[in-house]
Amino acid sequence: MSPPNGADDGELERTRNDGKQGHASDEPVIETENLTKRYGSDAAVEDLSLTVESGEIYGFLGPNGAGKSTTIDLLMDFVRPTEGSIRVLGMDPRADVVDVHQRVGILPDGFSVYENRTARDHLRLVIDTKGADDHPEELLERVGLADAIDDDAGGYSRGMGQRLALAMALVGDPDLLILDEPFSGLDPHGVRTVREIAHAENDRGATVFFSSHVLGQVELVCDRMGILHEGELVAEGTLEELRAEAPVTTELELVVDGDVERARRAASGVSGVVDASVSMDGDASSAEVSSAEAEASPAGADPVSAGTEVESASSSRTATATVADTVVVRLESAESHDDVIAAVEETGVAVTRTNVDEPSVESIFVAQTEAASGGGLR
Amino acid sequence: MRWYPLAREETKALLRSKGVWLLALVLLLWTYRPSYVVWNELGPDMTVGFLQYAGGIVVPIAAVILGYRSIVGERASGSLKLLLGLPLTRGEILLGKLVGRLAGIAIPAFLALGIVTVAGVVQYGLFSPLRYLAVFAVTALYFLALVSIVISVSAIVRRTTTAAATLFIGFILILEIFWQMFVPGLYSRLTGVPVNPYDPPAEGGLFLMDRLSPTGAYNAATNGILDAGNSAWHHSSAISVLRPGHSSNALAVGEAFDPGTAPLYLHEAGGIVILVAWIVTSLSIAYLRFDGGDLA
Repeated sequence: MSPPNGADDGELERTRNDGKQGHASDEPVIETENLTKRYGSDAAVEDLSLTVESGEIYGFLGPNGAGKSTTIDLLMDFVRPTEGSIRVLGMDPRADVVDVHQRVGILPDGFSVYENRTARDHLRLVIDTKGADDHPEELLERVGLADAIDDDAGGYSRGMGQRLALAMALVGDPDLLILDEPFSGLDPHGVRTVREIAHAENDRGATVFFSSHVLGQVELVCDRMGILHEGELVAEGTLEELRAEAPVTTELELVVDGDVERARRAASGVSGVVDASVSMDGDASSAEVSSAEAEASPAGADPVSAGTEVESASSSRTATATVADTVVVRLESAESHDDVIAAVEETGVAVTRTNVDEPSVESIFVAQTEAASGGGLR
Repeated sequence: MRWYPLAREETKALLRSKGVWLLALVLLLWTYRPSYVVWNELGPDMTVGFLQYAGGIVVPIAAVILGYRSIVGERASGSLKLLLGLPLTRGEILLGKLVGRLAGIAIPAFLALGIVTVAGVVQYGLFSPLRYLAVFAVTALYFLALVSIVISVSAIVRRTTTAAATLFIGFILILEIFWQMFVPGLYSRLTGVPVNPYDPPAEGGLFLMDRLSPTGAYNAATNGILDAGNSAWHHSSAISVLRPGHSSNALAVGEAFDPGTAPLYLHEAGGIVILVAWIVTSLSIAYLRFDGGDLA
């Protein structure tokens, strides 16, 4: 009677893991504590404590050489940590390597396909080793490589190799999908395919962990992200959280009806405002009249950033001032947006239109990585 | 048996390459070597002796050429990452590689030897099937030893060129081609006993050293099965050197020791022990290195 019982258990296990709901209540899918990997005296990863929750799509960002691939190699037990601990799906990647890999799909970075084997051979290897019941044709259909199924992989382009490895990662419906630089070598169609697959796998219940230095895609894919720089995690959170804590300002444009100067003064008094300036008709860059440095700064203005406006301010003074009706307020985070509007309206100046320009992932990324290398003061 | 698909794909890929079939062709031409001297001693079992010519130079070189990159080359190219991501321990990856390469080399080799066997039977009559099976089995063990050494070096070193240099110089050149020529001089150096290879002294260590190379061990074991004389040289050389009045630099225990006086460790079956020792030692070192370190 034991085989049917065993099968039942497996079935139960599967249904429990099927829903995103059930999964999300589990322990973290990836958990590293004080993880350090040194090669000689160089630390590729340093004191990394990373937690990826079940069911999320986590973007692991960082410039080339930041330690992203080394971290993934550590998670997969391709390399061994110098210090610190790792848990993947609650297991030790080294001691439980078979069980971990059974439930993980990996698209590695810097891999190459086998030259005298077909895509079908590649997939059969993974399917049979995992004991999965996938069909090579269907997997290749998903990644858009079905036409080349019996072609020698030696003749594949980089993008085709990338698609094949992605198909290999999907074998056996993994609980954790690790994609190391999945967008590299892909054309725009391929990039979209990766995005769609990441979402589809996530909807199925899989946690997706991917690394990238291509930032344009990140916003479209991930729920949460971490920025790695020189082996250390310098920022982590949802895009909103990163925007809030990044040393990058959000620009708020207020088109006002009334005394612009009074509105500017009111805005600059609000806490969280870096500075406020008056500009012409919403075109802040060409005709900015900044008074922040011309007169004594009101409380709340950041003395460091004030200096940066000098150039644009002096050039714009020569411009003929037509109707200046726009106040450009630079905020530490988008959160003080409402406070600023309230403060301006309290002075009796009506705000007719607002426009928020939030920082892109790229600018957050640049700011975070520069700040981390001590570049904030450079 | 989780490693079986890995071994299977490895073998399939190897059987699709030209190299292994070239090996089969060379073996076909290389091993069919009838001779009067051997015929006089062995009769129809001369055909069994053909198998033994597979040892010596052709299969070791083929094993090196077809295998030296098998792990270190995949590390360099990055295809090893596809294997490392599979639900296999590193020991299983090593085992799958070993079995896959072994089958990929042994299948064409045994096919060629099979054809040679048929030709031998047709020409020289039926041999002793028991002897044939025994030599066949030791030949398979010998192939395993060769592939184990090659795979192990490939798993241990960090660069493809190091693997090539180690295997071509250390293994093929020193241990296979020149070993038996080096042994008399080397033994003299080490022990101070003068050695004339044409009239060897009754020194057990000399004969043991002669059969320490994988091919020497293989020859010793198969010569024992063929009853061709207790020697680490090819059976044809062993038979020649033991004929009265004949002299060559080949070493045979019967030249130096009176019957029954040779030390036990020079028993022909010792060749099998030496082959097993090569397999176990090389694979153990490879496993420890491969399992313990960083692979990406």
